[in-house]
Amino acid sequence: MIKFIIQRVLYSFIVICILSNTVSAQKLSVKEKDNSFLVHPVKDRIKKIKKSLAKTFKDFTDNDVFLLGSLNLSSQNINDEGITAPVNYLYNSVNNNTFKPGFTGGFRIDGIYKEKHRYTFSFAMNRISSGAHYKNKYTQPPFLEEYTHFKADNIFTTLSLAARYKKLLPINAMNQYKFYAVVGPSLDYKISTTSNDNLLDGAANRLIVNADIGSEFDNNGYYVLFAHYKWGNNLFRSMVPIQLNRFEIGISFKVKDIF
Amino acid sequence: MKKNYSGLLILILFVFTSACNKDLSRITATVIDKMMVNKTWYLDYSITGNNTQSFLGQSTYSITYFKDGTTKDSDGLTGTYKIIENNGNYQIQVVANSLKGNALNYTHTIESVGELNMIQSFILTGQASKTSLYFTSK
Repeated sequence: MIKFIIQRVLYSFIVICILSNTVSAQKLSVKEKDNSFLVHPVKDRIKKIKKSLAKTFKDFTDNDVFLLGSLNLSSQNINDEGITAPVNYLYNSVNNNTFKPGFTGGFRIDGIYKEKHRYTFSFAMNRISSGAHYKNKYTQPPFLEEYTHFKADNIFTTLSLAARYKKLLPINAMNQYKFYAVVGPSLDYKISTTSNDNLLDGAANRLIVNADIGSEFDNNGYYVLFAHYKWGNNLFRSMVPIQLNRFEIGISFKVKDIF
Repeated sequence: MKKNYSGLLILILFVFTSACNKDLSRITATVIDKMMVNKTWYLDYSITGNNTQSFLGQSTYSITYFKDGTTKDSDGLTGTYKIIENNGNYQIQVVANSLKGNALNYTHTIESVGELNMIQSFILTGQASKTSLYFTSK
């Protein structure tokens, strides 16, 4: 009984509080009125930036945000000629000239520039598992084995940014299904820990710049299926130039259709 | 205002690129140590100039490097070892004592080391050619 009374009192108190807040929100106090005439540097700055962005990107219209997910197949070509560290790895145990699967998740913004040019900006996180092809083999007679002087990390995580141009292809009934050819640059930054083997002679390079090319299929705006090929290279000069080849096959959905 | 954005961009690039700048010789020494430790290395070949001696299939010299920085070889020498960098070369310094308590210190250059094979070299005083020791871990 006492518990019931306490509950009732509490509920009444909460309801009164809410009502009083609502009432007070309608009437501005003297302090609030004074405050509205004061300078708000942060608020004003945000407003200014918003205005400026709207002005800058006024030609970027019809923007839709998509969530994307994809499967990656990756392989890297490694040239370890520049390594001087006295380390060897058995060639046959590190070399596997294959494509290995990884995955990607992120979002992209699709829109039209100046009502004419279609584009995609995407931001994604990639878990890359990669095959490795070592270009050079070394021997140390009288030992019979073949060696490399470097062992690249085969599993790593990157954050990627991409900007791609989309060209509508005149295939099929274009009012319903749309096919696009896409092309553009992208940038990957390795965020996973780099192994010591990969850091020999300062060879590790976290930034990879890619040239992307591919095709996309848009099913009436419900979803987009895409297939991209990414040809990546170290952005900065490295003792061990690595070329990363990737195929992406994935799907993206409009965010407003999901939430 | 433009100046501020440039500064921020430079700072971001600096952080991104400087993340790789670790002490390279320390990294190399760490990798060499990882390859060498907790293994027994058996001498397969000894090459001095054009003279190659093979010990394959024979009872041969062996040495073990332990993770705690100690070493023990088949001749009964026990002691400590250290991997150092000297003018771009990586060397192993061994400070050891024989079974009778005689001190024996030596420094070998590490020519190459991996999971399975290791090559060390040294030049004896009064010798013109260097001697290379080819070890295999089994």
